[in-house]
Amino acid sequence: MNDDVVISLKGVGKTFRDFWLRPTVKAVDALDLTVRRGEVFGLLGPNGSGKSTTIKMILGLLAPTAGSVSVFGLSPRSVEARARLGYLPELSYLHPYLTARETLMYYAGLCDLRRSVAAARTRELLKMVKLEDVANRPVAGFSKGMARRVALASALVGKPELLILDEPTSGLDPVSTKEVKTLVKALAMNGMTILTTSHLLADAEDICDRVMILDHGKSVAEGRVADLGESLEEFFLAKVGNADEFVLADFLA
Amino acid sequence: MRRGRAIVFATALEILGEPLVLLVLVASLAVASLAPAMHYHQFGEPSRMARDAGISALLLGGAVVACAGTARTFRREIESGTAQAALARSVSRTAFFLWKSLGCFVAYAVFSATVSLVSLTVVRGAEIGGAIALETGVMARLWGPSLALAVAAFVIPMLVAAALNRFCRFRFVITANLLSLALAAAGSLYSFDASLACRLLTALALSAAPSLVLLSASAAFAVRFRSNAVSLAVSLVAAAVLPALGNYCLSDALVDGGAVPGQYFMAAILSIVPAVAALLMAGVHFINGRDVQ
Repeated sequence: MNDDVVISLKGVGKTFRDFWLRPTVKAVDALDLTVRRGEVFGLLGPNGSGKSTTIKMILGLLAPTAGSVSVFGLSPRSVEARARLGYLPELSYLHPYLTARETLMYYAGLCDLRRSVAAARTRELLKMVKLEDVANRPVAGFSKGMARRVALASALVGKPELLILDEPTSGLDPVSTKEVKTLVKALAMNGMTILTTSHLLADAEDICDRVMILDHGKSVAEGRVADLGESLEEFFLAKVGNADEFVLADFLA
Repeated sequence: MRRGRAIVFATALEILGEPLVLLVLVASLAVASLAPAMHYHQFGEPSRMARDAGISALLLGGAVVACAGTARTFRREIESGTAQAALARSVSRTAFFLWKSLGCFVAYAVFSATVSLVSLTVVRGAEIGGAIALETGVMARLWGPSLALAVAAFVIPMLVAAALNRFCRFRFVITANLLSLALAAAGSLYSFDASLACRLLTALALSAAPSLVLLSASAAFAVRFRSNAVSLAVSLVAAAVLPALGNYCLSDALVDGGAVPGQYFMAAILSIVPAVAALLMAGVHFINGRDVQ
């Protein structure tokens, strides 16, 4: 395994099955993907294209039904591989009864940080996401944007080498969105490898070095953003199409 | 170890913060402290009544806390997505499941310790009352001490917890639970009798055994089945069918005069440990074999 390769997917497929093990949905089909060290890689695609499923296979949360996944050359289920990554889920999954500070201390504990180190890191991250004033309030009362910032801070608490962001700007206002994009760029400048998904093509265009477009679980295009020669949105629509809009226009007419 | 501490703390905090747990605790303490007083006047045998009420409260309330608390925390962890956020970190699924089960046990231990200590105080009070009745020929007034104990065990903690919540933002339910435990411990120390404590706490510990099987079954089946109803039904069947012999041994011992000999205690442990271990192993197998999404 090349040390430069952080994530490698070879012929990966995922078919969900029902209680009787009958196949229900083929979410990902024969996907090959390579993310190299220091790269900001964007996984784009319409809803239901298999982006989140791919990310969950990379995290070892879902077992692929075909092909192989490796993270840092290891199985994604290995604790060693996951010790080196941070994850921001699509929805900010937080324990509602914990305060923002307790949430970060909880994730610092899961990253095996010593208590004093965890406390210092928590203070630093709360300041970074501007939640110091509400650090002792349970997150159940937080707005979607505030919860998103807590989730982002918890993804960074272990100082990961690889950051996986599933729709990082989901639920954020324009100012916070810009701050997240600036943060992602700053983390990438410091050498962190980042894999992100986004519906917002302008966001992906701003932060990604390389993108892959998924449709119905298959890769339909992959390349460097700088080499596209046209806007990412035009490229995306050319590859995936916007048939839904035409159907809706016909219906409205 | 640090990972384990984080998971145990968060789990115990979640279960002890459940309003349902506080309601069950208050109901159990009411049964343990007030119900005996109602029966003394009709049936006599104050200390036996107090002991039986305490054991009943621990059995029934403990089963609810063990089953509902454990099943709810595991289900919520999986359904709300916090399990995937945790399992994406450097914690193995086996460790996550076992530490979380330990967190459930800690919450259950807080509940059962509170009920046990209150029962200990009530039984001691009833024994003293019975002795006074024998000496004087007049049945001592038992309502007063029982009411005082009930107030100390759950009314004062609720009021103090409410004040701390109002002025210091302390969590109401958890504070009330822990204050109840502290006051129960203080009460039982005040009227401490080593022989009684030894006998009664052994009996109470044995009566908790079925709840431990239920707790392990709830944890295992909550990660296996998508339906709460199926998970609950299977857990109850497992807890009823698996050899929770501690309960039967306890009944035998109580019929023999209230003391619980060591052989019963060992038999109960030997019957409970394999059942709990088997269920936890099943839970580890289930969580390792499933997709988390």
